[in-house]
Amino acid sequence: MHEVSIAQGLLDIAIKSCTKQGYGRIDSIKVKVGKASGIVPDSLLFAFEALKSGTMADKAVLTIEEIPVSGFCKKCSKKFTVEEAYVISCPVCGSTSFDVETGRELNIDEMEVF
Amino acid sequence: MKVKVVTNILEANDRIAAENKKIFDEADVYVINIMSGPGAGKTSLLERTIRGLDGAMKIGVIEGDIAGTDDAERIGKLGTPVIQINTGGGCHLDANMIREVLDDLPLKDLDLLIIENVGNLVCPAEFKLGEDMKVMLLSIAEGHDKPLKYPLMFQESSALLLNKIDLLPYTNVDMEKIKKDSLSLNPKLKIFEVSCKTGEGISGWTTWLQSLVKK
Repeated sequence: MHEVSIAQGLLDIAIKSCTKQGYGRIDSIKVKVGKASGIVPDSLLFAFEALKSGTMADKAVLTIEEIPVSGFCKKCSKKFTVEEAYVISCPVCGSTSFDVETGRELNIDEMEVF
Repeated sequence: MKVKVVTNILEANDRIAAENKKIFDEADVYVINIMSGPGAGKTSLLERTIRGLDGAMKIGVIEGDIAGTDDAERIGKLGTPVIQINTGGGCHLDANMIREVLDDLPLKDLDLLIIENVGNLVCPAEFKLGEDMKVMLLSIAEGHDKPLKYPLMFQESSALLLNKIDLLPYTNVDMEKIKKDSLSLNPKLKIFEVSCKTGEGISGWTTWLQSLVKK
């Protein structure tokens, strides 16, 4: 719902980091977005395309890697991954005692700069 | 060339939220962030809470709305210091909006600051404001499917108030399902059943809140 402000945030961080390292152009940015982060990838891409014009990321391609929700069950000691944006029980043994390990990411991972 | 960045995109917000938290701690004020969908009864809950804790502690309020000052006017009538933030279309409050109004509140005189977030079951859960805890309000007429449809909100909150229980005879809502699914998502969730209309259950909530503020 607020992908525009997220896209602006990622653009700001990318430009700041690029300038700080002495480069002047961003060609690509890769971000990791967890399925439980509440962000819709298509909306983020759309917002990024609209916001990048006129910046040093004008030609930059945004790639989004979606990270599924995964966890570790404390009862059966198995790692698991689920399709949904949440876990309510271990899909292997049904236990409700587990740690969620991935799925909330909203990170810039890497970028190509020149 | 490729450069590794590995930065959380919400980093700027989280940094300001941490600064807000420091300001709140220095002023010795406990802060709660109340979130719900539109019309669940956040402002009515604030009115009940303020009345219920009258004399026991000094309360201040920040009202977040897309537009309008109706909520702040309702709270102002109770003699409570209140600031209205209009997000102008924004779907949630963020840490910077809170930071900008802090100088207008008598923080040092307050024991409890209640922030009423914009009515929305999705985005407010993602933005830290510097609060001590998030509290969620769900009116029972919204339906028992909400916990699994909007999991993040339930996972992030420390307490869940189920409001409008006076409407129970007129709905087919499954209260046990709401409670079971909410606790599956967040086993530490403290659940209160209340009616802001009749006042039923409010004292359980205010007593619990008081025990946290006085710590």
